[in-house]
Amino acid sequence: MKGLIGAVVLLILAALGLMPFFVTNYIVSFAIQIFMWIALAGSWNLISGFTGYVSFGHVAFFGTGAYTAAILISKAGWHWFPASLTGSVTAAALALIIGYPCLRLKGPYFAIAMLGLNEVVRALVSYFETFTGGGNGISLPPIASIQPVYYAMGGVALAVVLFTYLIITSRFGLRLLSIREDELAAEAMGVNTARLKLYAFLLSATFPGIVGGFFAWYSSHIEPIGTFPLLTTITMIIMCLFGGKGTVLGPVLGATLLSIFQEMVWARFLFIHQAIFGALIVAVVLLMPRGILGVLQQRYRLPRTI
Amino acid sequence: MKGSSKAKENLGWVFLLGLGLGLLIWDSAAAQAPIKVGASISVTGTYAKLGGYTRDGYLMCAKEINDKGGLLGRKLEFVIYDDRSETTTAIKLYEKLITEDKVELVMGPYSSPITNAASTVSEKYKKIMVASLAATTSIWERGFKYLFMTISPAEVYMEGLVELAAERGLKTIAVINEDTLFSKAAASGTIDLAKKKAMKVVMHDAYPKGTTDFSGLLIRMKALNPDVIVAGSYFDDAVATTRQMKELDVNPKMFGVTVGGDVPDFGKQLGKTAEYVYGSTQWSDDVKYPGAREFTENYKKMFNREFSYHAPAAYGACQVFAEAIRRAKSLDSDKIREQLLKLKITTAFGDYQVDERGFQTAHKMVLLQWQEGKRVTVWPASLAEAKPLYPTPPWSQRK
Amino acid sequence: MPIEITGGMLLQGVVSGLLAGGLYAMVALGMALIFGVMRVINVAHGTLLMLGAYATYWLFALYGMNPFLSLLISFPLLFVVGVILQRLFVYRVVDAPELSSLLLTFWISIFIANMAMVAWTADYRSVEFLTGSFLLGPIALSKPRLISFCFALGITYLAFLFLNKSKTGKAIRATSQHRELAQVCGINVRRIDLITFGLAAGLAGTGGSLVSVMFSVFPEMGQIYVFKSFLVIVLGGAGNYPGAFFGGLILGLVEGLASLYLSAQLSEVIAYILLVLILLVRPTGLLRGRS
Repeated sequence: MKGLIGAVVLLILAALGLMPFFVTNYIVSFAIQIFMWIALAGSWNLISGFTGYVSFGHVAFFGTGAYTAAILISKAGWHWFPASLTGSVTAAALALIIGYPCLRLKGPYFAIAMLGLNEVVRALVSYFETFTGGGNGISLPPIASIQPVYYAMGGVALAVVLFTYLIITSRFGLRLLSIREDELAAEAMGVNTARLKLYAFLLSATFPGIVGGFFAWYSSHIEPIGTFPLLTTITMIIMCLFGGKGTVLGPVLGATLLSIFQEMVWARFLFIHQAIFGALIVAVVLLMPRGILGVLQQRYRLPRTI
Repeated sequence: MKGSSKAKENLGWVFLLGLGLGLLIWDSAAAQAPIKVGASISVTGTYAKLGGYTRDGYLMCAKEINDKGGLLGRKLEFVIYDDRSETTTAIKLYEKLITEDKVELVMGPYSSPITNAASTVSEKYKKIMVASLAATTSIWERGFKYLFMTISPAEVYMEGLVELAAERGLKTIAVINEDTLFSKAAASGTIDLAKKKAMKVVMHDAYPKGTTDFSGLLIRMKALNPDVIVAGSYFDDAVATTRQMKELDVNPKMFGVTVGGDVPDFGKQLGKTAEYVYGSTQWSDDVKYPGAREFTENYKKMFNREFSYHAPAAYGACQVFAEAIRRAKSLDSDKIREQLLKLKITTAFGDYQVDERGFQTAHKMVLLQWQEGKRVTVWPASLAEAKPLYPTPPWSQRK
Repeated sequence: MPIEITGGMLLQGVVSGLLAGGLYAMVALGMALIFGVMRVINVAHGTLLMLGAYATYWLFALYGMNPFLSLLISFPLLFVVGVILQRLFVYRVVDAPELSSLLLTFWISIFIANMAMVAWTADYRSVEFLTGSFLLGPIALSKPRLISFCFALGITYLAFLFLNKSKTGKAIRATSQHRELAQVCGINVRRIDLITFGLAAGLAGTGGSLVSVMFSVFPEMGQIYVFKSFLVIVLGGAGNYPGAFFGGLILGLVEGLASLYLSAQLSEVIAYILLVLILLVRPTGLLRGRS
């Protein structure tokens, strides 16, 4: 059984790897979007799915990575790949500075603090104009081919999924889950909740940082209002919830399905799209808080580690 | 048999004739396939008011061209999406227009920041973008080949106000601006102009887009008591700033706004509070350009409301584009580009000529002032309807 | 640009800030009530405010009604809207994990804002009823702000009277202190939830009506008030309703001073740093609160 699954996985990966040579630019760019959402939803999963701490401003890390990379590319002439990786460093640094004090807060207060974080990073970015171009944003040279971005994004998405799998099958992961279930009891059992939460938070911030960098390069232009929207946070949360939070493939499933849905509906019905998306939010929240995989796990006794 | 071969010949002629006719009909039907022109416009969001006029201008231009037989024998059809005043949305929409909807031509969106971003897409696909409503110099300093400017640059928006102020011996000026591309350029251009006239800039500060409370800035300005105040703004901030100036009793001798002061709603919303405010505009309805009067009449007929310069600007840009296409006799980007670079023309909107960067060099600005509920052109002298009401009386002395 | 701040300017900044703060206090009180009683973070609070503002605008534009008089309409109107929202949607996430209530109220806010956009377009409107100021020496007391402040004060006072003296008000406070015990005491908490949400919506709507006299009215106008209300709740302490009042004033003051001394752009940052600091030092809020 395991061998079969492994073979299927390898087949899928091979197909994805060869795809850009056979399909149109439009599909490749669509795939880039899906990879990005997988990485984002998966990252949110790492902190909120596992520990239960709702990060409501996660897009702040995405934006931080985007700006770091953009500044390095435009002002220091770096190549986009290392610039984006550096984006993950700044994002992680931000997570450290904010996480250390804020992870001590209880549920709702943590969510509020994270929401505020997003607004504040945006305000700071606007203020320090000399670096960030303020309201003008930063313009990067238009890219010649999107295929490298495809592989880069795909790589990060894969990395997120792998990391999630590694965590969920490890003791670290088990301890994180125990924090989600009952933090007080976990502490009583000797789990160093403060440190573990911080690790998970840092990890969950690095991937959006890289993805943000790739995104900046891909869009050739970023500016504060478009790079820190609350809607991005909400979207990654919904994708993760829809697929099943706290699972490995949940974010992948959620991101893929919802991206396809968005693309099909947004293109045709701009207004209805918002309404339908909204209805989806409500449905997930009220009827399916465990997500697709969550429900399947219960009904068919699927392993915890998928 | 002679009879039947003749019949066959006749049949042959009929057939050939039929074929020829059929082909002719087919050809013209194919040629009737309209030229799709794509654009994303701010129909909602903070730029909605001004984006609306832009869209009107495009639609009017298309209608006129189509009524006269179309362009290169084909009708023009605008495909317009709403970018919600957001640059990231605009980028996505232009990608969609070019790659999915396969439009043959694109025209610019409203506002400098959005044009700045969207043009990276059009340049990537080597599609000409005539940027009808972008006025910031830096957009044309990126070395793009397929981007063309039709309106006067931001830096000279307040040229009229600075000149009038210098003529009257005013010495100090304070400038605030929205922290976005165009407004910043307008502010720094104003400051340069002021310095050239030996005026002292006592304050220069920026506020984030979407600010509604200007009291901090205004309190500081009041303490400095400048002769002239300039706001590099769009519509809503212009309204809010003016109203709050009254509330905080800030009394400069001249107060001008870059965008928004020329919009009819400015006066409607503020009523008497709008009096004496100077607004800058790319066009006013008493300019003597060919077709300007007809434009005003046709607009009122088609949309039944007042408008600001954005409508004729969009209209004029579309006309310039069409003329270049006519001269190039094709939709090929490089051929059109050649024509746009050498074209010198005056439309209902004004003069058009660009330098090698595509940067506009010929078009002139106009300064207006709100007098008794109406927008009155006060500068340049050659176009002025009336003298400016100077100085602006303090709020406490107004009724 | 650093310039010297004189005593007069400082006083002006303080006064303007406090006047704004009174409004924040009233709006935040509503959000504090919802959080206290139902443990729900109402992200849609801003849209409720926006609805109140539009109500006042239309009454003014169509019937010339005095905006301050329209409070008599916008309060009950928003009360009803609040009750409906609670009955249809919010009751499901009462006492639920915060993610559910955040997402649900977020959706409500988007939905209402979109409907507003479709119905009334994104055009900025204004209620040109009162402009100008009373001049007290070097200080200009903006007329609309001053009168709005007085109304906000009055309504907040009435709200407190209600909470402290009336039977329902006491029931609300009891529920927010300990939901289960309140039930044991025979309080119908479901009914209390409805009333609380309605009351909070009414306060937000009234806030919107007052805002419409001072600033522009447009579909997204409520968003910043959500963030500000969060700050106020943290400053004052959740469940500490008088605290919310002082929290509002403090926030207004901090904002006014920050935009005077520093840049307008930084005032948000300052407020947030304040928020984080307070949450760290006293997670239950600056003044007496409860966790």
